[in-house]
Amino acid sequence: MKSKYQYIFLAIGAFFILNSCNKEPGEDIIPPPETGQIRLQFNHFVDSKPLIIDSMMYMNAAGNPYEINEVMYFISDVILHQSNGSEKKIGDWKDIHYVELDIPSTLTWEVYDDIPAGNYDSITFIFGIPEEKNISFMYVNPPEDKMMWPDILGGGYHYMMINGKWLDENTEEQIYNFHLGIGQLYKGDVINYDSIYAFVQNYFTVGLPDSDFMLEPGETKEIEIIMNIESWFQTPHDFDFNEWGGAIMEIQPAMRIGVENGFDVFTTGYIR
Amino acid sequence: MSKFFLLTVFMFVGLMQYSQAQMELEDTILLEPITISDKMIKRVSYIATNYIDRAELQSTSIRDVGEFLRRIPNVSGIRRGGSAIDPVVRGYKYSQLNVIMNNGIKIEGGCPNRMDPVSSHIEAEDIENIEIIKGPFSMKYGPSFGGLINLVSAFPKPYEKFEIHTNAMLGMESNWNGKKIHGSVFGGNRTVFFHVAGGYRNYGNYESGSREGIDTVYSSAFLKYNHTAKFGLSFSKKHKIILSWDGVHGRDVMFPALPMDEKSDDTHIYSFDYQAERLGPFIRSLEVKLYRSDVYHVMDNSHRASFSTMQMTTDVDAVNTGGRTAINIQIGNHGLQTGIDHENIQKDGKRVGYMSMMGTTSKNTKNLWLDALIRNTGFFAEYKTLFASYEIYGGLRMDYNQATSGDTLEIIENGVEYFNETGSEYFNLSASFGITKSINPWLEISLGLGRGTRSPNMLERYIKLLAVGYDKYDYLGNPQLKPETNNEIDLTLQISKERTGDVYMNFFYSFVQDYINANLLPSSVITPQTPGAPGVKQFYNAGYITSKGFEFGYKSPDRHKLGGDLVAAYTYAVIPAVKKYITNGTEVVDDVEIRNDALPEIPPFEATMNIYYRLFKGNLVPRLTVRAVARQDHVSEAFYEPSTPGFCILNFSANFKINRLTEINAGVTNLFDRNYYEHLNRRIIGTNENLYEPGRVFFATLYVNL
Repeated sequence: MKSKYQYIFLAIGAFFILNSCNKEPGEDIIPPPETGQIRLQFNHFVDSKPLIIDSMMYMNAAGNPYEINEVMYFISDVILHQSNGSEKKIGDWKDIHYVELDIPSTLTWEVYDDIPAGNYDSITFIFGIPEEKNISFMYVNPPEDKMMWPDILGGGYHYMMINGKWLDENTEEQIYNFHLGIGQLYKGDVINYDSIYAFVQNYFTVGLPDSDFMLEPGETKEIEIIMNIESWFQTPHDFDFNEWGGAIMEIQPAMRIGVENGFDVFTTGYIR
Repeated sequence: MSKFFLLTVFMFVGLMQYSQAQMELEDTILLEPITISDKMIKRVSYIATNYIDRAELQSTSIRDVGEFLRRIPNVSGIRRGGSAIDPVVRGYKYSQLNVIMNNGIKIEGGCPNRMDPVSSHIEAEDIENIEIIKGPFSMKYGPSFGGLINLVSAFPKPYEKFEIHTNAMLGMESNWNGKKIHGSVFGGNRTVFFHVAGGYRNYGNYESGSREGIDTVYSSAFLKYNHTAKFGLSFSKKHKIILSWDGVHGRDVMFPALPMDEKSDDTHIYSFDYQAERLGPFIRSLEVKLYRSDVYHVMDNSHRASFSTMQMTTDVDAVNTGGRTAINIQIGNHGLQTGIDHENIQKDGKRVGYMSMMGTTSKNTKNLWLDALIRNTGFFAEYKTLFASYEIYGGLRMDYNQATSGDTLEIIENGVEYFNETGSEYFNLSASFGITKSINPWLEISLGLGRGTRSPNMLERYIKLLAVGYDKYDYLGNPQLKPETNNEIDLTLQISKERTGDVYMNFFYSFVQDYINANLLPSSVITPQTPGAPGVKQFYNAGYITSKGFEFGYKSPDRHKLGGDLVAAYTYAVIPAVKKYITNGTEVVDDVEIRNDALPEIPPFEATMNIYYRLFKGNLVPRLTVRAVARQDHVSEAFYEPSTPGFCILNFSANFKINRLTEINAGVTNLFDRNYYEHLNRRIIGTNENLYEPGRVFFATLYVNL
């Protein structure tokens, strides 16, 4: 009888010995960081003051009274340029950021990338999405999915939507959709899907003025990027809603005005 | 909770002993001519094996094979809808389990979301028996990593003179207004014999148990029908061939926990079997099997809210062709089964999405698999001998695995190849050894050592952007995944006493190398394609994990009127290091390494107790089942896996043999209409709401055997 119980205890003992073999995790020695983080904060101004939506209180350079209801746009390929000529392209986790006025979480981009500490001269980014990345159906979830640009107009996604109203020559309220995206070239003078013969990539690179900063190891630097909305409608071209109408996504010359006006739309706010 | 279970165990065993002693004193007519066999805790050789025969399958109401398998200790299931529950054995799932039909037929499920696991391609009424071998010990039916589930359907057999028989089944269930019907005709003579059968089942949406007086109705309806035809030819007593054709079809099968529902699933399985017996003094038998299983699966989101903005349809064609040949040799006490097997898996599938805007429709077509092919050829040998009071077993398996794909997808970012070269080939070695010692006539102790290696499957290698995992993420295959290997040790004690019954205890410890896990990919590399998926994960080899646990069973002697059984099981699995992504909403902002994190989807401790009483010479057997499941708090932090509360449910059923030909099985499950969900149940898609189990269900099934 004794031997029977010996076998049982031996077996159970073996099981628990096997289970006790878990190695205790050792303490890792964490070296001091040589990198920092950045956070991009997006704010929106009109005429040097914070944007007030849903109020017919603005006047553009062409003399159109207008209001702004919605602002949505993409920026991509943010590059931090160092004094020594090297650069850090943001993209370890994501390289395209979506901003929507009505969604506060999109107004802050907590950049995942570890940024090498050091002096940075400037920041550049692409307004919109570059051609090789602007692929239809790459966003299937809200909120980005609503930015889809019809395949027949070039596909991919809108670079920007500014939606609002303006008062026309008869002071009647009209709806405008100031949308930028891939442009189309049409045969003849008629805008017709069947007469599209080429597409135009309208995204452009923005050099953010006064965006130099120094990043200490372990530091998180917050950089405010301001979109000055009135600039979309002026310098070098005055954009007249009465001339172009409320919908421009099928009118490449109108989008071209927006693109050429876009060089000074973004400015740097605080860096702290 | 654990104290409650221990108390339950002791009370139950004590109650059985007391009641049986009382009955023996008071009632001297103890031996009944009819024996009801309950094999929930049977052990074969040194490995933990469960064997369920037809009688046991008929003793309960089965709407789905996977659901039935959850009754077996340490076998769980992943519920995504009303049917097609995906089996999990000791925490191992999907291709970690070798699920086969009829001793060697393999089926490649069509659905990447596993709407159609292998067990859904065979109807319960067609099953003759089910064998489950836990651990990497079986060598003869293909690579076995975490276990083998062998679903064996009814096969025709020769008769001395011509006979013909029929079986019929009619069943109904309340709650989801389930109706099922099945019939079979079989017979033949010594030369020609046959078995033909067909079935139909139609279930509506089920209601969960009552939660503060409110039931939740889930979109879980399904319609399935099947047919089978098998013909045998015996041209001598030693040789026979059997040709068979099975068809299983699903229509409008709803899965509230998946992004799409099954529109249709059409499966056809063809097989040829040749069996020869006693071919020489040492050759006991020779088996040859050839088969082809073809699954065509279509799913869409037409029943979902997302359909209004984006219409999605997916269709997949999966074909598995293969065979095996084995020879059984017996020389004295030495038994050897050896042979070769081969399978050839081909898979093609595409997803089409439509999105409307400005009066135009954009169409997006992407392949999920494109001419994907996996070939696996194996050699196996299983040896068994008796030596004094020892039973010794050894097994060996060698596999050559090769995979290719017609994919043109190429994802290379910053010098990292995420998806590029699609070809791969592996040589895998699996082996097992076991020894059983009979200490005395009532006590046996067994030790098993096993190593099972499996190559990555079609999904892990080549899937492109579907939410196929535990979480909401889209998944991307990894063509360069390495095989994963389970090294396992099992220790088993078996006590069998005529007066007190059988006690069975199994302890296991697994050390898994090159564990296949999934890691989140940056959105700068790839974005999801499934509405609701917050990102994309890709399969990778995550180093090692460990898993341990036990199974316990007690079964009362068959000779008493009052009897029952008690089973309990637990698995505890840990991954030593895993990355957890810190998110802000859906945005990843940081990551942190978690040490000794729990593996996700590991079922909690549970115990099930059955008590029955045989009335009218065993013609009426009422049965009470109590199932208690502990809270699962050992959950994966890296996967943001939530805890699951424990629950206890009560079922009652009765088997009544009306006469020699007719039997009825009726009862109620979840008697108190408890509102509960299993830890492995998936959550409702697009929400954090759990998919609850059905509430109270009354059922009745009539069997007629002519």
